[in-house]
Amino acid sequence: MSDPTNNLLILTVAVPVVMGLLCVPLVNLPKLCRGISLLSFAATFIISVVLLGQLGSWGDPETGGIMVSQMGDWAAPYGITLVFDSMSGLMLAGASLVALCTTLFAIGSLPARTERRYFHPLVNFLMLGVNLSFLTGDLFNLFVAFEIMLMASYGLLVIGGGKDQLRQAYKYVVMNLLASSVFVIAAGMTYGMFGTLNMADLGRLTTELSARGELPTGFTALGVLFLFVFTLKAGVFPLWFWLPDTYPTLPISIAGLFGGVLTKVGLYAIARTFSLVFLAGEAGAVIIPILAVGAALTMFVGVLGALAYTSMRRVLSMMLIVGVGYSLFGIVIMTEGSLQGAAFYMVQSMVVMAAVFLCCGLIERATGTDDIGRMGALLQQPKLIGLGVMVFIGLLSIVGLPPTSGFHGKLIIIREGLTDMFWVVGVTALLVGGLSLLAALRVWGSSFWGPAPNTADTPEGDDHAQIQSFPRSERVGAWGLIVASLLIGFAAEPLLNTAGRAGQQLAEPQAYVDAVLNNPRYAADAVAKAKPGDEKSEYDTYAKPSKAEEEHH
Amino acid sequence: MTFVLAACVAVCFGVSVYLLLGRDLKGVAMGVFLIGHAANMSILAMSGSPVPTEQEITSGVAIAELKEAPLSAYDTPSPALGGMVDPLPQALILTAIVIGFAVMGFLLTLLVITARSAGTLELGELAKDDDAEEPTADATAAPGGAA
Repeated sequence: MSDPTNNLLILTVAVPVVMGLLCVPLVNLPKLCRGISLLSFAATFIISVVLLGQLGSWGDPETGGIMVSQMGDWAAPYGITLVFDSMSGLMLAGASLVALCTTLFAIGSLPARTERRYFHPLVNFLMLGVNLSFLTGDLFNLFVAFEIMLMASYGLLVIGGGKDQLRQAYKYVVMNLLASSVFVIAAGMTYGMFGTLNMADLGRLTTELSARGELPTGFTALGVLFLFVFTLKAGVFPLWFWLPDTYPTLPISIAGLFGGVLTKVGLYAIARTFSLVFLAGEAGAVIIPILAVGAALTMFVGVLGALAYTSMRRVLSMMLIVGVGYSLFGIVIMTEGSLQGAAFYMVQSMVVMAAVFLCCGLIERATGTDDIGRMGALLQQPKLIGLGVMVFIGLLSIVGLPPTSGFHGKLIIIREGLTDMFWVVGVTALLVGGLSLLAALRVWGSSFWGPAPNTADTPEGDDHAQIQSFPRSERVGAWGLIVASLLIGFAAEPLLNTAGRAGQQLAEPQAYVDAVLNNPRYAADAVAKAKPGDEKSEYDTYAKPSKAEEEHH
Repeated sequence: MTFVLAACVAVCFGVSVYLLLGRDLKGVAMGVFLIGHAANMSILAMSGSPVPTEQEITSGVAIAELKEAPLSAYDTPSPALGGMVDPLPQALILTAIVIGFAVMGFLLTLLVITARSAGTLELGELAKDDDAEEPTADATAAPGGAA
């Protein structure tokens, strides 16, 4: 068995911390801060892609290509473990790319005053929380990562402090605080039941206990508690009400970042913890139907919302929720194929949702409104043709018409979903696909294609000529994401392969457990050899086994 | 002891849910604060009885209630670890408390800012303000446009 230890992966967490801290004293030198921020996200993107490449090249059957880093060299169930498998890698790469492009966009679009209010440190800390949630190997650190992410997101939520922003912030802050408390309680209960919070160890224990039919009482309730926490963060049906209220109040670049990344963290947590731990035994029979119904309702109600609103920001928020429904559906089927689809779809949705939010920002800059009833015939203005193309590509990628990137993920998920058990949800997913095409065409049609609104006397008409030159960083940021989404669509194979590995690793969590727990570096015999006989203080046996191993050699 | 803790958790929860359902934002903030405490206490309850009574010590019953530190399962347990309460839940609580401080600080600041900008902390009035704001915004815009 090869040694899966790779300490490089701490860099994806360490880089945002260091860069974020660097930005704090330099906050009055915006140019420097911008450079640092962009460097930070570019670096995390490159690191995660390189690590993914390494996973692919040495994905041996024993560990399934999973990298593990034990912080401070403490062996798995006792120390802090970071785990990097294909799923984490995909999410990390996607999130960093989105952060890079939205920050680029923010440089052009955020007022200088807002940017100086610690925008760059906050985004860096947000990404620290996000990256740590993707990497962490135990439940309590997942809580800590969520809290880091949420604290930064509260800061970004009220940045610039519009009245509306402040008012809506409560819903987001209070709901998330409540969910965090439930998370702490649930983590405490898990510890009370199993005496460990390491996910791999929990996975091992639940598999063993459910095989013997000895799962502790209340295990299902525990799963449902976690379900509450994660579905709230992900924005699944009954718990998404805060999302379409808060996201539209944000400055658009931050809305793009939140829309792209934050819900995916909740989805990732569902995929990770439920595939490993909380579907064991009878718990699965309770939780899977809840999740399936949640996924169907999320999609359906979301698409109705997308059809109903006229504010473009709200429509996009609802489309984001539809995407959450699809991803959740892929996760809940829990087959290798469907998880592959979910992994692919989540990365794609991250990139595309952020892209269309940014495009929405460009449209607002050009027309001064985000109400699709008050704009029209934007294509007639030669300078906006490029924007029209962008929005068209973005919206079709969300819907998933064949040549664009949403297609592969949706196709896989629905194909896997049309089985005996989930056919109702599968049919809903098909129907929702049609409806979201309608919603997307309504947005694009009424803004770019349809007749110009009868508002010739409003001041907006005059503003067109002046506002049309978008700052370069805005254009680069938005185009970057659109091009990335096109690449995902047209050169899908490498990503599909990686997503396939992610699906395989999630569907058969034994490899994850082995990579974390049966790490040869910490193998039992290495500890045993260092044991008594050679007159050591008792601490040596409890502390770093690797030290003992080194001495032995 | 565990019973006392459980009762405390229950009371804390009850009060905080009552506060969270209210319409006063100060109350909501306090509710969030209290539910955090309830969560921390429930973790403490998970870690087993912290202080066995004298009677329990002499009868030797309570020792079974003390959770062993996870490290003592690592290898042959040393006698020094025998009487030790599991320290991990306390580390978890410590972390959660620190995070709670930060979050609470943020929430209270948000309250102050909102109170300054809206002049009220009553949810009903905040919402009313929302409805009332748009006509006034238009009303102020119209004279400006006319001028």
